[in-house]
Order: sequence, then C-alpha cells, then structure tokens
Amino acid sequence: MCPFLQICKRSVLQLVRRPIYWVGIFLLPLFCFLMLASLMEEGLPIRTPAAVVDKDGSALSRQITQQLGGMQMVDITEMPNSFTQARHLMQEGKIFGFFLIPENFEADLLSGRAPQISFYTNTTYFVPASLLFKTFKATAMYAKAGVASEVISSVGFTSNPSAMLLPVNITTRGIGNPGLNYAIYLCVSFLPCVLQLMILLVTCFSLGQEIKYHTSVNLMQIARGSIVRALAGKLFPQTLIWIVLAVFLESWLFRWQGYPMHGSWWWMTLSQVLFVLASQGFALFCFGLLPNLRLSLSVCALLGILSFSVAAFSFPMQSMYGAIGIFSYIVPTRYNYLIYIDQALNGIDIYYSRWWFVAYFIFMVVPLAVLPRIKKAFLHPVYEP
Amino acid sequence: MKNFFKTYYTEFLREFSLVKGDMGILIFFLLLPIAYPIVYSLIYNPELVREVTVVVVDHDRTPLSRELTRRLDATEGIRSIGYATDLSDARKAMNSHEVYGILEIPEGFARSAGRGEQAEAVFYCEMSLLLRYRAILVSATNVMQDLGGTLTTERIDRIAPLAETIATGDLMPISNISMGNIESGFDSFVMPGILILILQQSLMLAIGMCGGALREHPLKGGAILGNGSIISSMMARMSVYLIISIIPAIYIMHYVPLMFRFPMEGNILQEFLFILPMIFSTIFLAFIFQAFVRERESVFVLWVVTSVIFLFLSGLTWPRYAMSSVWKFLSDCVPATWGVQGFIRMNTNGASLAQVRPDYINLWILTAVYAVGAYIVQRFIQRPAVRRAAAALQQADSEQTEAAPIKPDTSAQHR
Repeated sequence: MCPFLQICKRSVLQLVRRPIYWVGIFLLPLFCFLMLASLMEEGLPIRTPAAVVDKDGSALSRQITQQLGGMQMVDITEMPNSFTQARHLMQEGKIFGFFLIPENFEADLLSGRAPQISFYTNTTYFVPASLLFKTFKATAMYAKAGVASEVISSVGFTSNPSAMLLPVNITTRGIGNPGLNYAIYLCVSFLPCVLQLMILLVTCFSLGQEIKYHTSVNLMQIARGSIVRALAGKLFPQTLIWIVLAVFLESWLFRWQGYPMHGSWWWMTLSQVLFVLASQGFALFCFGLLPNLRLSLSVCALLGILSFSVAAFSFPMQSMYGAIGIFSYIVPTRYNYLIYIDQALNGIDIYYSRWWFVAYFIFMVVPLAVLPRIKKAFLHPVYEP
Repeated sequence: MKNFFKTYYTEFLREFSLVKGDMGILIFFLLLPIAYPIVYSLIYNPELVREVTVVVVDHDRTPLSRELTRRLDATEGIRSIGYATDLSDARKAMNSHEVYGILEIPEGFARSAGRGEQAEAVFYCEMSLLLRYRAILVSATNVMQDLGGTLTTERIDRIAPLAETIATGDLMPISNISMGNIESGFDSFVMPGILILILQQSLMLAIGMCGGALREHPLKGGAILGNGSIISSMMARMSVYLIISIIPAIYIMHYVPLMFRFPMEGNILQEFLFILPMIFSTIFLAFIFQAFVRERESVFVLWVVTSVIFLFLSGLTWPRYAMSSVWKFLSDCVPATWGVQGFIRMNTNGASLAQVRPDYINLWILTAVYAVGAYIVQRFIQRPAVRRAAAALQQADSEQTEAAPIKPDTSAQHR
C-alpha cells in the first residue's frame, strides 16, 4: 500500500476509535444545525407578551385596546392599573412593553386638547422590543388616523383621507427576505461559522494528539519523511467528512428549509467545498505557528468564537471601528457569508464574488509557509501542558 | 467528622496547587474572563448603525423629490452617495456592495402630491443584515411623517382653516420611550447577557480541564484516588474555584459595564447575591461534565461550541416565549439562561432581587439537582476512572524500567 493510503487508513482508525471525534465532528455540528433551524422555525417571534394601561376607560380607549389585542405580534396578557405597576411587570420580565392611554383621553381628544399616547418598549430585549415598537406605532397611527378623518370629513372635506394623512408614502421592500425572517438571516451565517469552529478545533486537536503522544515520529516514518504526505494523509479523511457535512448544510438550509436560493447551486456548492479547505488551511496555519496542542487549540477557540462577532453577521463591518473591522477579513467564514449574500440571497453575477473565491485560495496556500515548523515539531515532539 | 475536615483541608491545598501550576487552567479561570469581554465590547462598541449608504434613482427631478432626498440624507441612518440614472445602474452599485439601499422616486411624484393624492416612493433594501434594514426603515418612516406633516399643513391652510388643529398642533401626539437600553444600542443590548455567559463558560472550561488533568496525572488525585469523602472533596474544590473566580466575577459584573458605559441600574450587592447560585450550579454542572473529559485538551472540542448553543437558549436574541417546549426545557436546564435573564433585568432594567425571584429560585433548584448529579458522577465515574488511570500508569512505569525510552508524562513535568 502506498504511504498516503497507509496514513489515510491510520487516520480513519484514529477518528473511528475515539468518541471525542464522533462528538466533535458529527454530534455537535448536527445538533447546532438542528437547533438553530428549529428554534426559529416560525421566522419571527409572534405574540409578544405586552400590557395596556388604560387610565381612561372610555369607549375609544377600549376600542384601541381591542385593536391592539387583535394584532398578530402582541399578546395583551396584563391590564395593570398604573404606570408603576406596568414598569414592575416589565422588570419582572412578564411583559416586554406597554401602551399607556392617559386619563380623560377621549374627552381631551374630541375637544382638541391634544392628549398624548405613549408606549414603552423594553429594549433590553432587542427583537421583542422592535416588534412591539412596530405594532404599537401602527396601532397608534391607525387610532389617530381614524379620529383625524372624522374631523376632516366634519369640516366638509371629502377627498381621499389617506392621502390627506400620509401625503408621502415610502414603501420599504426587503429584497430576498421580504418577510424579515430571522432564521434566514441568522442560520446562513451562524451555522457555517459553527462548522468552521469545529474544523479548526478538530484539525488542531488531531494534529496535536500526534505530538502529545509522540506518535508523530511514527507518522513521519510512514510518510517517508515528507511532511506534505503526512499532513495530506492525516487530514484527507477529515476533509471528506467535512465536505459532506458542508454540502449537507447547504441542502439542509436551502432545499429542505427553503431559504432563499436565487443563484446557482454549483457556485454555492463550490463555495462550501472551498470553505472546508480554507478552514483546514487556516487551522493548519494556526497549528504551524504554535505547534503545541493546547496553545493552538486556544488560538483556534478564540478565533473561532470571535468569528461569530467579528465576521459581522449581525453588526455591520462598516459600523465597527476600522481597527476591529479589518479582522473580519482574516476568517474564512466571512467569505462564505459574502458568497452566500451574493449568490444565494441576491443571486447576482459570479463576477461580483470573484475576490471572495480568491480569498479561499489564499487560506489554502498560507499554511505552506509554516510546513517546516510543523515538520520540526513532528520529528521532535515535545508536549507542553 | 474530623476526617471530613482533614480531607477538606488537604483537598483544598491539593486542588489549589493543581490550578496554580497549570497554565491552561489558569488561562480559562482568569485570562479568558478578563480578555473576552473587552474584545467583544470593542467589536460592538459603536452601538448604532449609522449612515447606511444608499443611492437615489430620481425619475421625477422636481423640487419635492430633491427635498425628499435631502431630508433622507440628513437622517442619522442614511447617507446618500449620489444619483443613479436608472435601476440597473443602481443595482450595479448595490451588487458591488457600495450601497445597501436604493430609493426609487417614480415620475409624477410631485404631481400626485400637488393633486392631493398619495405620492409613492419605494426603498429597496439589501437584506443581508437586519440592523441595516432597520436603520433605513426608521429613517424613512421618520422622513415620511415629517415631510407628510409639512405637506398636510400647506394643504389644510389652503382648503379648510377650521381644521387647523390637525395642522398646527398634533391632535394626538404619540411618544415612544425605550426602557432599559435607552439608546437601543447593540452593545448595551447584547453584552450584559454575553458577560454572564462568559462567566459560566470560563468556569465550565476551567473545571472541565481540572478533571482532565486529574485523569492524566492520577497520582495527584488525592481524595478522589484514595478513600476520602467525596462530599468533602467536592466542597474543598468548590471553595478553590469560588476564591479564584471572585475577581473575574467582580470585574465582569461591575467594571466591564463601567468601562463601556453599559446601563448599570442594578444594586451590585443584590446582583452578586443573584449570581452566586449560578456559579454554584455551574460548578456542579462542570463536575458532571468531568465524566466526559478524558484529557485536558478535550474540553476545547467538547465544550467551546456550546457557547453558541447556550447563547441562543438563553433567550437573549430569540425570546423564550417563542421557543417550542423541547427547546424551552433545554433552556431551563442551563444555569446561564436564568443568570442572563435575571442579570440583564437587574442590570439594565433596574429590577431588584425580589423582582427576579422566579429566576433566582430556578437557579437554586438547578444547584440542588446538579449537586446530586455531581456527587454521582464524582463517586461512580470520576473516582473509578482516576483509579484505573493510576493503575495503568503504575503498570506502565514498571514496564518502562525494562524497555520503553519515551516517557510522555515526565517529559511534561520538567518543562
């Protein structure tokens, strides 16, 4: 058997025999895939618990309460009697916002004393607060419009009341994700990042084990002294598994979950395959810089976890401080995300994504620079705890 | 009883020297909770998404359409980088990530407004990031109302002076107030929760590694290896972890919010009282986790990714009321869920300890449940495992005196 295949076989046996690889390669990533997608199955959290403080108790104020209760996004669970009570409910986490109708609201409104309607949202919780804000604002606007159109028609003005109230209307259209589906926005970036994290950790772990248990000497012997052959044989079985997982993730998200896929499947699949190789290259580079099990794992864990934030999946890179935002470009998952935006979400020409593909290749080439260091570490293994 | 205290004393010293002498464990205990919050906070510190670049396709070219563009450009959320001749030109700018929104003003925009009809314009948003969409949406809504108000005033003045109230004074002012995180900043929203998560994860990783270290150097096992009381040993080790994590906990809960100006409405003493059972239950959970850690470095592969899982289970981003029962149950089992929920309400909303009572009680319940689990694991899994490892090591040692040249464990020690 040729040395490459011999090493592959050895590597496969190592993977199969230790439960930690089963957990790290299959159990954890697949659990994350399942969890994130099913956690947010509804797309948006509907029926946010909220309250109405109705200090007026008039026909009009009750009508507003009813309207609010009929909205899809809120669930009026409490009817506290005062602002203080409502605030306490919010602090206890029972409601995420409340709508305050002041005393003498109806009477003041009809006599033109301009009563003020206020609503309070608990922005400690971002998503519920945003949804409540939208619903509360819409309800208040409708209530206002209803009264205003009565006033307008009472003075004998019969034109289109909506044009009267809202002379300029700007419709906002979200391209690709019109329903503002939170799962679409989150899973496509976070799940590849989970995959990247596990690729980084498992790659460094499996290489570091060779040094820790001094089996790397034996590995180099089988490879006849060639570090390229040793690493290729060692990582090839993992590469295959990761590629299967990455392509599975792609089909899981875009086919079975039905997330927007407006471009070519081939480019996305190519991106997934190259993403795996780029992540492995990145891991190899980290390992080469610090050929030590714990240190390289620490660095990979740090970068892998920071990737979730610094790769700008939720907070745009353009709004970060420049010195921080630049780190966004040193992690492979960023390019996977950019290609997803171009190819799947927006479905634009591959020309616009060309540099992201080039970046993948840079990640694959970079570890060549540290191969001599890995070779040295493999030939003279020293385990530092 | 005397034995109990003796075991406690020796175990305390043993565990302390184990932690003190192991760089990896110390990094998890101290460096991780000190460095991570700073790095994270710096990433999100700009708080708001401002000046999202957009391009305007103006088919109308009237004073009103230019007024609309000017007003949009003047908002906090939007920056217009110029006009595009048509939609396909604008698309090109969006495709190359120069702009994230396209405002299209159709021909006849000003004419409809002048006729008393509704003048329509469309804003196309790139949907890769919801925060960008939100910035555009909020700015566009504000401008829409503002410009609409100006136009309505003009019209009403022309037609019906009687209906003046609508135009001059707003007949029903609407005000909205953000509670807690009053600027709706992203950093102030996400960080207080993440801080608590970091506290839990650093404890889990460090204690998990302690367990792995024990199996690799079983002869240092102390009470676990011998016949000492497991309860006493667990208490001794808990004391060590508690003492070490006091400084990170104070730093995370008080100084990090202070440094980055997060909301700090809570009473710090009550916050500590609140977080104490979370630390207890986390330590017990980590004792259970030790069953799965065969060597020190396993914790990286096994536990690091759970940070992502726990972040979503904590209900910080995806609220708990919208979770299905399975996920809710899983979320209930994580100490950090209650820690995050309680802490952000105390810290950001100024809740008192009494107001987070359900969360506090849940933390104590978790502590009790995990304490039992921890005892079982330590007694029936960890102790036999350490004993087996010790026996294997002794056997290997006796064989080594005959042949094998490589001694991994000793080579590790003199470094």
